[in-house]
Amino acid sequence: MAEHDDVREPVLIAEGASAPAGLPKGLRRVPRGVDEFATEHLIVNMGPQHPSTHGVLHVLLELDGEEVVAAEASLGYLHRGLEKLSEHRRYHQIGTLLDRADYLSGVHTELAFARALESMMEIEVPARARWLRSLLCEITRLSSHLVWMGTFGMDIGAMAPFLYILRDRDAVLDVLEEITGARMMFNYVRPGGVLYDITPKAEQMMLEFLDRFESTYLPEYHDLLTGNEIFRARVRDIGVIDRDTAVAFGLTGACLRGSGVAWDVRKERPYAAYGELDFDIPSGSKGDCWDRYMVRMEEIRVAGGLARDLLDGMPEGPYMAKVPKVLRPPEGEAYASVESPRGELGVHVVSDGSDKPTRMRLRPPSYFNLAVIDEILPGHMIADVVAVIGSIDIVLGEIDR
Amino acid sequence: MPDVAKIAADLERAGLGAVQVAEEGLGVVCRADTSDAPRVLEALKADGFEMLLDLFGADTGEGLVVTYHMRSISLDEDVYVTADLAYGGTLASVWTSYPSALYPERETAELFGLSLEGHPNPKRLLTTDAVEEPLLLKSTAVRTHEEVRRDG
Amino acid sequence: MALDRLTGENSVVFTRSEQLLDLARRHSLWYLMFGIACCAIEMMHAGGPKYDFDRFGIFHRGSPRQSDVMIVAGTVNKKMAVSLKTLYEQMPEPKWVLAMGACACTGGPFRDYPNVILGVDEIVPVDVYIPGCPPRPEALQNGFLELQKAIKRRAEERVDAGRGEDRG
Repeated sequence: MAEHDDVREPVLIAEGASAPAGLPKGLRRVPRGVDEFATEHLIVNMGPQHPSTHGVLHVLLELDGEEVVAAEASLGYLHRGLEKLSEHRRYHQIGTLLDRADYLSGVHTELAFARALESMMEIEVPARARWLRSLLCEITRLSSHLVWMGTFGMDIGAMAPFLYILRDRDAVLDVLEEITGARMMFNYVRPGGVLYDITPKAEQMMLEFLDRFESTYLPEYHDLLTGNEIFRARVRDIGVIDRDTAVAFGLTGACLRGSGVAWDVRKERPYAAYGELDFDIPSGSKGDCWDRYMVRMEEIRVAGGLARDLLDGMPEGPYMAKVPKVLRPPEGEAYASVESPRGELGVHVVSDGSDKPTRMRLRPPSYFNLAVIDEILPGHMIADVVAVIGSIDIVLGEIDR
Repeated sequence: MPDVAKIAADLERAGLGAVQVAEEGLGVVCRADTSDAPRVLEALKADGFEMLLDLFGADTGEGLVVTYHMRSISLDEDVYVTADLAYGGTLASVWTSYPSALYPERETAELFGLSLEGHPNPKRLLTTDAVEEPLLLKSTAVRTHEEVRRDG
Repeated sequence: MALDRLTGENSVVFTRSEQLLDLARRHSLWYLMFGIACCAIEMMHAGGPKYDFDRFGIFHRGSPRQSDVMIVAGTVNKKMAVSLKTLYEQMPEPKWVLAMGACACTGGPFRDYPNVILGVDEIVPVDVYIPGCPPRPEALQNGFLELQKAIKRRAEERVDAGRGEDRG
């Protein structure tokens, strides 16, 4: 492996003159005063193997004592060419790859891709399929937020919530397995509809889970974390992202809503069954870790309620439209987006009329959400770095693609 | 849908009359020259398109196209800007107006073999120097079936 | 003690120290908490309350210096390969590697992308391959049971070889 030895990237040394003000703080050079007590800056590599980087994120931290002076994320440890490989797969084969992009909520990626194809080929999706899509989206949103909550707690130092969410997520995965046949890699949403109808047993299992979830599990989480004094002290006023920064860095999802912008693709550009449903969009005001935490905790509750509504109002009828066996969308481009647990997940397909796309671009929400750490980490203590990264909720499969 | 006439008029006023604004299957698309793209984006920012949602390149077989996807949260509208580029060309950075372009510009330059102009940190983002060819170009082949076989 | 019931109270058992140590080793396999991709989520679940890895003496550690087993749970690419090798070298002997999932075994669905390594065994020696994309937690547990068997088998082979040398 000698040819790979140059993997270590040049490190950002903060020295010299000032930089333009619009730059993220991590890229700004920090002038060192002559009169100050001379301390040497220390570069710390956080990751790629670190339990709190949620995968293989690598952050270069430049420290002055315990304070972060500059931070820079180094990506690509999971770059496996989803976009390139999609150009070499037929349209119906791409869903398999997209599942593995955002592996905590594969349904959302599949749905964005299916919607892009449907808009190009003008396929009308049956009502039952649209409701089933929304139902799956809400269950996976719930299970994805559970993982986020457990790992966020573990980053801060609370081990117990992680064990609780694994217990509950196993119950969710059992329901998902009953509906789709798989625990994680569903490949369930297809262009034109969904793969299977929901079975009465799955419906029963889901209702039982939702009962337990609302009566027992959710209050337990709030007891474990929300009411925990140490937890509150660790997340309040940490990692503040104000509205302008959030918009300038292209943040979406709970990170944007935590900063006070109540933008949600489900409300603004309704897809699947969301146009016919009534639900709340929780949002914060200050944009610190606590606001992002509360927004996601509220979303867990809303997702549970939505799943119940969707089960109640599920229309009868076919769950798959008539689509050709080989998909050949006409020449052109299409963009479709969904609100994934991490933010706006968009798929941009460029077709030349053949059975393979010319270009398939995935707009990964956590890629843009992560970029903001270069701006907000400087000035924090090193112990708060994990809290900030945890509160952004990243999935590396989707960032590196 | 954004008002095509208004955007065209605003671009005209900014001295960018050569930019074609039209409504296509994708939405409202402004087709600009590469050198004009940063100025088009600045003009659109003044129009209220404050968020750069996405930036990506595509290889058409004859050259490259860079697409900027912009959004106005207050107006609830999206607009696209596309710029044609030659292979191995130079991508002018737009980070001064849109800091969210910092990562995708590095990624596009790396995966399509472009050089960056005006970027504060113009190094590779996703791969190492062990990967020599720009991976997303059509001329870069994926491994063949024979190459990935493991008979041993 | 179970051994007492088997052999009688205050009994003496003769064994090779190697076999005794391997008995201890294979029942306290601590793995490195090193999730790369999708398989890491199933690895997490395997350690969770439903599948409960602890009952096999299998527990996660954050540092390679404290681990016996490395589970390579995900796609390894050229950028990751260097770090993976470093981590493997940091683990103290004796150490084992589990290739979890199709990507770690062969490159999986991403094998035709030039940036992806075709199986982690090009970088570190692998003891057990676990197929699946991703493997279920049960499959990972089965992989660990296979690893325990392999450790036992190797200890016996070493003892047999040593016996041969004694006679010679």
